[in-house]
Amino acid sequence: MRATPLKPLAALAVLALLLAGCGQGLLGGGDDAATGDGPIVLGMLVPQSGGEAAIGPYMSNAAQLAIDEINAKGGVLGRKLELKTADDACDPQTASAAASKLVTEGVHVSVGGYCSGATLPTLPIFGKADIPMIIPAANSQELVDQKLKHVFLINGTGSQQAAAAQKWIAKQGAKSVALMHDNTSYSKDIAVRAQQLLGDQAVIVEAVTPEESDYSANITNVLAKKPDFVYWTGYFQEGGLIARQLRQAGYEGAVMVADGAVSPKLAEIAGNEAAEGVYATMTQTPETLQGAENWIAAYKKKYNADPGPYSNQSYDAVRLAAEAITKAGGTDGAKVVAALEAVDGFPMFSGPLKFTPEHTLANGGFQILVVKDGAFTLQDSLQ
Amino acid sequence: MTQLVWNGLFVGSFYALVALGYSMVYGIIKLLNFAHGDLYMLGAFTGFAVLGAVGGVSSSMALPVLLAVLLATMAVTGLAGVVLERVAYRPLRGAPRLSLLITAVGASFALEYGMRAAAGADPRVYPVRLGGTPLEVLGARLTLQQLVLVAVAVALMAGLNLLVTRTREGRAMRAIALDPRTSALMGVDVNAVISRTFFLGSALAGAAGVMAGAYYGKIDFLMGFLIGLKAFTAAVIGGIGNVPGTMLGGLLLGLLESFGTFWLGGQWRDVFAFGVLILFLTVRPTGLLGERVTERV
Repeated sequence: MRATPLKPLAALAVLALLLAGCGQGLLGGGDDAATGDGPIVLGMLVPQSGGEAAIGPYMSNAAQLAIDEINAKGGVLGRKLELKTADDACDPQTASAAASKLVTEGVHVSVGGYCSGATLPTLPIFGKADIPMIIPAANSQELVDQKLKHVFLINGTGSQQAAAAQKWIAKQGAKSVALMHDNTSYSKDIAVRAQQLLGDQAVIVEAVTPEESDYSANITNVLAKKPDFVYWTGYFQEGGLIARQLRQAGYEGAVMVADGAVSPKLAEIAGNEAAEGVYATMTQTPETLQGAENWIAAYKKKYNADPGPYSNQSYDAVRLAAEAITKAGGTDGAKVVAALEAVDGFPMFSGPLKFTPEHTLANGGFQILVVKDGAFTLQDSLQ
Repeated sequence: MTQLVWNGLFVGSFYALVALGYSMVYGIIKLLNFAHGDLYMLGAFTGFAVLGAVGGVSSSMALPVLLAVLLATMAVTGLAGVVLERVAYRPLRGAPRLSLLITAVGASFALEYGMRAAAGADPRVYPVRLGGTPLEVLGARLTLQQLVLVAVAVALMAGLNLLVTRTREGRAMRAIALDPRTSALMGVDVNAVISRTFFLGSALAGAAGVMAGAYYGKIDFLMGFLIGLKAFTAAVIGGIGNVPGTMLGGLLLGLLESFGTFWLGGQWRDVFAFGVLILFLTVRPTGLLGERVTERV
């Protein structure tokens, strides 16, 4: 008898639980109960050691900045965002191990990836764990050639970059082009694609060994073909040395580098004389962004340092992940992927975002920069 | 063609300088000091710090100032080598060869990532650069500064060779190489001689580091890794433990790389250079001027 008054209460409680369950189902996606209301964890693989270690902080700091801003506004679906970074050392083996570590730590979306060669082996690892990947920087065509459903690139691809390079080379009226790469996935990809676009104009494709100091042998090789345009598609340390050693060897034609070599350090390494007038194919950098002064100021205030290459893309990757999770109503991998595919006009530094069927940007947004007084400045937007 | 030879010799003289330290240490205590390449890196950073402390240097004074910095750096890296030996290698001298090898790998990582913690991951750029206007010599483009660097390298190597072959100290080193226990019985202070060997080898690596920093401009905490491997290779080609052989080995490796790049393109350079080495070592396992095995027995 005493139990009867409780019955409606019990029924209510059950109903409430069911509703909560439904709500969980709608909002929380496929989450298990343990992570359903904890923080949403974004994983980020960036190089923190090895030759590209300088890039890591530019990316992870910017990602943290975005996360702090989103959390200050109440987070995503009432849950806080949290960033877990791991070091990929720009090395495939280290990257695979680091990706597995992030997966076991319960990452929901991956927002990292700088070196294409190191990012490639992480694709199946995140894929198996049903973790969508928004890759801010790595942009080798090989990343999209596998047509993986969970992989999205928000940096222009290698073929888009090669096309931009070819456009600029044609505009400059160069006749014979030497392409130099460092045999990594990213670098070779651009060089080979540029070679296809340039046809007979490409007189030599020269591979160098990264992390050395002396490239005189490669340069002697290149200059034997008498090019009037040299395009280096690797990273900035070798880029600076190559620009300098080209000039020392008496080369007077144009030098251009790809986006991996765009760093203030390039001009420093090459020396101002050799760096002056070096072109670059590059997507937006903090320096060339229009109307980003507030953002740069916020970054400076937080880290007491300037943002660098891929800071803005990393920042956007986090914002995009938050947007997709909100739209998907939770962190279920398939739903987030669907939400990412449906994104239309999401404002990013590179312009309103809409993915192509290959999950790349419709427009790579590559422009031509030039070194003036030791800093990369906009030369031509190629529009 | 002369350009190729010059490129090869220039790079090769760096390999040779670094390789000497490998070779001397191996010759005396049969230890492959994998941290040796990192002493080259340490030298480059020490030179950088000293130059920074000296302050602005006008370009006309660049060469004399750099030579002074070179000497200071050699002293610092030499001492670092002595400390390394004392801390990491001496306690394990009686231990199995493998433990010693792993300690050397550990020391290498400790130096690399210690430097990264101290100086950061960003590459640094030398405030003084040896640019110079190129001269045409027999169809090859070279600069006076390059000639000076090669001359310094040759002078250092020649000095070392004199020291090893003509002095009491050198005789003690050679005696320990042949038989440490008997040398000790004959009154040679084995520990002191080994320390001094480390000092010399590390000082040479440090000198190479400063020269590379001043010529190429860029230094970073991993710069010693690749050249360490190359120098090790050079030491083996030349005959590890043999001073003139090691110098020849360094130059030969530089030339092989230069010609390999020219004949087959950059992507085949290492395949060519190291393929030749494998062939060479199958024919002559002791290297160019390697010690005769009988001398050891």
